[in-house]
Amino acid sequence: MDAKDTMTLEIFRYHPETDSEPRFQPYEVPYNEDWVVLDAINWIKDHVDGSLTHRWSCRMGVCGSCGMMVNGEPKLTCAAFLKDYYPFGIKVEPLVNFAVERDLVVDMDGFMDKLQEVKPYIIRDDVNDTSEGEYRQSPAQLAQYKQYSMCINCMLCYAACPVAGHEDEFLGPAALALGHRYNKDSRDQGQAERLDVMLAGEAIWGCTFVGECTVVCPKHVDPAGAIQQAKAMAAQEFFKGFVMPKGTGA
Amino acid sequence: MSADGRGPATGGRAAGRSDEALWWALFSAGGVMAALFVPAFVIVTGFLLPAGDPAVAAERTAQFAAAVGWWPVKLALLGVLALSLVHCGHRIRHTMMDLGMRRYSGLLKVPCYGGALAGTIWAAMLLWVI
Repeated sequence: MDAKDTMTLEIFRYHPETDSEPRFQPYEVPYNEDWVVLDAINWIKDHVDGSLTHRWSCRMGVCGSCGMMVNGEPKLTCAAFLKDYYPFGIKVEPLVNFAVERDLVVDMDGFMDKLQEVKPYIIRDDVNDTSEGEYRQSPAQLAQYKQYSMCINCMLCYAACPVAGHEDEFLGPAALALGHRYNKDSRDQGQAERLDVMLAGEAIWGCTFVGECTVVCPKHVDPAGAIQQAKAMAAQEFFKGFVMPKGTGA
Repeated sequence: MSADGRGPATGGRAAGRSDEALWWALFSAGGVMAALFVPAFVIVTGFLLPAGDPAVAAERTAQFAAAVGWWPVKLALLGVLALSLVHCGHRIRHTMMDLGMRRYSGLLKVPCYGGALAGTIWAAMLLWVI
């Protein structure tokens, strides 16, 4: 590899307090085979332009902070290698379907609200005393939800989902997968409560099964699968409602 | 929908579970029917029955028509047709919503599922006279 090789990153810039509209700024970065897009952005921030603003933390696909649009695709920039784009340029933008706060940083408030809405914690009618020990779970019971618990809240699925972009009532892939994760947990007793939220309005029904959420998920969570399972669960509950009216939980 | 206060936002959703579970269940069942049986019907009635020697084909078609005249077959056919039509209506409704008619999602039920119902009644009438 030629040490003098470079690559061009075209980066979305927008400072709402000074810019009337967003623009793209090109930066020459050294090409290094081991570098990911995040390394290049950090290099720009450290060596060229300290005003460039982006989120990042772990650099190893665990924290879910560095999601951006890389050449139009939602990606964790810590997992997008320069060598996969070399020698062509790379265009970096903030995740679509979110409001931009500054440069590559998007507003996560709406997403955080949606996560909270599905009550993503174990709900119990009866709470055992700690002296009784833990709630036991078999490997088969764990397998029911484990995949859906791997989400790192990187929001790539929201950027990939065409419904999340135009339907505010839609809870979105990650939140629905998370709700489903607790509904499938054998220790949980809050399914009815959670389904009241998930089945209202367009919360889950907005999904038209495009499936892109599952395609872009860096942790193989399969939110589209979770949503389909949750819909099937909802349909069962709907028909059960006629056989056993108003039976909540018990 | 950013929340400045504590509790989560509701996204402006109407409280209470939506009746969409019913339509989705019918859509889902219709999807299975449309995917499994409709292509088979097209192949059988459109290609296999009329294939080959016309005299043999006519006899074959007559046998098939006789089988369709049996009422359990009629009932099964009606089920396949009705569910496939609801599947189609639901997909059209959601496509219209995606094309910007989301706020009319309730109103769209009338032509979409109404159309499916009309098609089902028509199919039932045709099956009745076979």
